[in-house]
Amino acid sequence: MALFARKDRKTAPGADEALGLFLFDAVNDALSAERVLKAAGYEVSLVAPPAHLRAGCDLSVALPRVEHIGAERELIDAGVPLREWVADAEGTAEVCDLVTSVDFGQWLMVRAGNMKIVVEKDTGLIVNTSGGGCPDIPYLNLALVGKRVDEVPRPKDLGYTLCGLMLDRAYQEVRAQLDAREMETVGVGGGAV
Amino acid sequence: MTLLVIATYPVVDGPVLEGPVTIEPDGAIAIGGTRVPSSQGTSAMLGAAVQVAAHLGTPPPHALVAGDIGRGDGTRAVYERLSEAVKRIGPSVIAFHYMQPVMALMRKAVHELAEIAPDALLVADAGGMYAAKAAGLATRFELMTPDVGEVGFLADPEVTHPAYVSHYLFGNDGFDPVALAATAHETGGASRVLLIKGVRDHIAEYGAIAEVVDEPCVPELEAIGGTGDTVAGLASAFLAAGFPTVDAARCASLANREAGRAMGATPAMHASDLVAALPGVLADNLCRWGGACVV
Repeated sequence: MALFARKDRKTAPGADEALGLFLFDAVNDALSAERVLKAAGYEVSLVAPPAHLRAGCDLSVALPRVEHIGAERELIDAGVPLREWVADAEGTAEVCDLVTSVDFGQWLMVRAGNMKIVVEKDTGLIVNTSGGGCPDIPYLNLALVGKRVDEVPRPKDLGYTLCGLMLDRAYQEVRAQLDAREMETVGVGGGAV
Repeated sequence: MTLLVIATYPVVDGPVLEGPVTIEPDGAIAIGGTRVPSSQGTSAMLGAAVQVAAHLGTPPPHALVAGDIGRGDGTRAVYERLSEAVKRIGPSVIAFHYMQPVMALMRKAVHELAEIAPDALLVADAGGMYAAKAAGLATRFELMTPDVGEVGFLADPEVTHPAYVSHYLFGNDGFDPVALAATAHETGGASRVLLIKGVRDHIAEYGAIAEVVDEPCVPELEAIGGTGDTVAGLASAFLAAGFPTVDAARCASLANREAGRAMGATPAMHASDLVAALPGVLADNLCRWGGACVV
């Protein structure tokens, strides 16, 4: 029997447990860590580290202190570069989760935080991305614009910064809205309820 | 009267490029003769700045950039070359644009610039603005050009990136640019002048609103990537041409909006369309807006 089996806990981190933080030198390392740990069954959240631990465009992963050892081994095994573990999550901040939409008739724009994505409704073609100020944003603009929203990798998997993470949230929302629109169209056309 | 733009371009391992900026016949941006990808971001900013310089007959903007797709490598390469380039070029305005927001690098740069270019006016937008504010250096800057979400970031002394700001993010639900500009100024999160980009553009000086620009109103511009960058490029170029900062900001706001109207903006258009519309817009309007037909 493995001493550190995969996790199967469903309670939100921080609900009644003391939290600690994994710190990273790059935002995309934090995103990779979140992906690895969630796949392993850990309940983690992406947060800004406390002010005295920040170097710039920072993102850290919070989880209960008691799970530090097993989670760290998951990250090492997955080859995720880790700067350090801090057994104190006091002073962290949540990433903005405010998402809104603007209907331009032929086009739909979704904003998440300071990032925006615009698609042509009928084709799913990404016609614009905007907002943000980190260097991966022009890169994502080149990678995404002119392609169908269901045929491109997620911005989260292409980008490297918090701006890229926010664009990913807008991308997820625009996909959800297009999927809902398609279901509605199919429902009407097929006589479904 | 030279504008130096410090930034990155979206190419993996792209080398450091430095030189005057030109617009090629097909609309592409070239730096020292080398073309960079046309996208939102610094190419849009530079394109707008080139059009202002061409219209006014001032020197074209000079750029120092390197390839960076978000890993920070190009940003570090640019900072390493900054002091030498500033000593050689002697810019009157230095604008920080799309860069990895690394506070330590910005602190070192601003400290060095105070020694080697004490009279240069500093401008920041995008990642350059995030780094300047997060490092506690915003008050060293003459002009910043935040959008409605980013001014909330400037007004919150606790956060280091707009992704952590939820309040007033989209200019609604109680968004008050007057109060946010004042708070940003009082808490040391603002440059001397702020150009707050939104449905209505607010220009604040020492935290107090000096100008409001809301016509023409072209909502589609918000959807077009890079139309905030063109505002930053316009304002930086007007500043380098000798416009007082509030006038530079006002003319930038007016020119961007008028270009949006002139091009018949739709959400599927691009910043390069706006840049292409600028010569006609400047020729038809700048004398009326700024009283600056010839510098």
